[in-house]
Amino acid sequence: MIYLDAAATTLQKPPAVRRAVNRALQEQTSPGRGGHSASMRAAEAVYQCREAAARLFSVPSPEQIVFTHNATHGLNAAIKSIANPGDRVVVSNFEHNSVIRPLQAIGAEIVAAQSPPFDAGAAFRAFKAEICTGTKLVVCNHVSNVFGCVLPVTEIVALCREAGIPFILDASQSAGVLPVSAEALDADFIAMPGHKGLYGPQGTGILICKTAPAKTLIEGGTGSETKRRAMPDALPDRLEAGTPNTPGINGLLEGIRFIERRGTARILAHERNLMQGLTDGLRRIPGVKIYTAKDLRNQTGVLSCNLTGADCETVAETLNKHGVAVRAGLHCSPSAHEAAGTLESGTVRISVSVFNTKREINEFLCIFEQIAKKLRKA
Amino acid sequence: MVYYLITCRSLTYAQRAARALERAGITASVMRTPKGLSKEGCSYCVKVSERRGALALDILRDTDTRISRVFLLYPTGETREVGL
Repeated sequence: MIYLDAAATTLQKPPAVRRAVNRALQEQTSPGRGGHSASMRAAEAVYQCREAAARLFSVPSPEQIVFTHNATHGLNAAIKSIANPGDRVVVSNFEHNSVIRPLQAIGAEIVAAQSPPFDAGAAFRAFKAEICTGTKLVVCNHVSNVFGCVLPVTEIVALCREAGIPFILDASQSAGVLPVSAEALDADFIAMPGHKGLYGPQGTGILICKTAPAKTLIEGGTGSETKRRAMPDALPDRLEAGTPNTPGINGLLEGIRFIERRGTARILAHERNLMQGLTDGLRRIPGVKIYTAKDLRNQTGVLSCNLTGADCETVAETLNKHGVAVRAGLHCSPSAHEAAGTLESGTVRISVSVFNTKREINEFLCIFEQIAKKLRKA
Repeated sequence: MVYYLITCRSLTYAQRAARALERAGITASVMRTPKGLSKEGCSYCVKVSERRGALALDILRDTDTRISRVFLLYPTGETREVGL
């Protein structure tokens, strides 16, 4: 299979990830739930993962690394710790439903800073126009999961700092690919999944917290301060109720170690190189509309396209029959499609990881060309 | 042998304390806090030898590592709280 759906979940993982998960299942139980060796081995592995994540994302202290089940979980914990009903919350128009739905559920006033894809200047101006004294929170995607466009988050955080407004970053598509520095960004929360660019198993995620939030998403056992009825005040326990996914975190540790060894700059260069080949190739195929940046420095390894006259789901299904995995539809981000005029059609999304090769991209282009020809005739 | 037991508010804090001490060349192990010493319920502590205890506390202060309480653990199993 040519797997080109890394923006959803990376399928190919470093072999050490699988080994670590297996080892944890055999040798570890749960951290903070006893003093026996199996529990303490789990505790050591989980702490090593906190340390590795703190290193990779320049987080001052390992306890600021909170393990979640995915980015959605982290975003819910972050958003619901700050936003209240009726609060004006400014978001980009490239947000995933993992941001929009919690805000909707709270009853917040969601204000989208509107800009077209791949126009960082327009995105910044839109945020500047929408952030005002009544704004209670700003949430922004680092990279669109539909188009791969990079948003000017450093500049947007600066606006928030100036206005004293909390900022939450959704780093779902950037963690492990772009530099994400908690220290430099100074965001209140940064949420990310473990199963995409960090090459960990599904069911893992990280929420980087600047400080412990006043409100918690769920409450329960933490193995600490057990006489108290309230959740502990200190991180990470405050946001880590219940038994953690120890095998997953062991795998995530190896994923992060892989990225540390490889380096995000090298990973990004590889993915952009593949994207260049992909866009050049797709442009040569008649009937293909691609949504891409003029300058690939504004895009990561995610690209959306459509085949004129063909339903995007049909294209994805046909590609699957030819052994190619891509994703079609709205990718849980309808407002991003509104920005590009693809809300009704959806798009075929092609997304790469460090494990994809030029050869795979060339093979994909041959298959895509054949399918385009066939679907044009039909 | 006499040990210092440095109690922490959570396992992660105890691990952070142990790492700070190990980096300074002090052998430190994380363990469950004896039940009689943990006011707030279950917790973890860091065990270091009495000989390195004072230095360990200095290091934890210097590295801004938060700790809760400090006890001396005697070979008889008796404990005595040490003022911070």
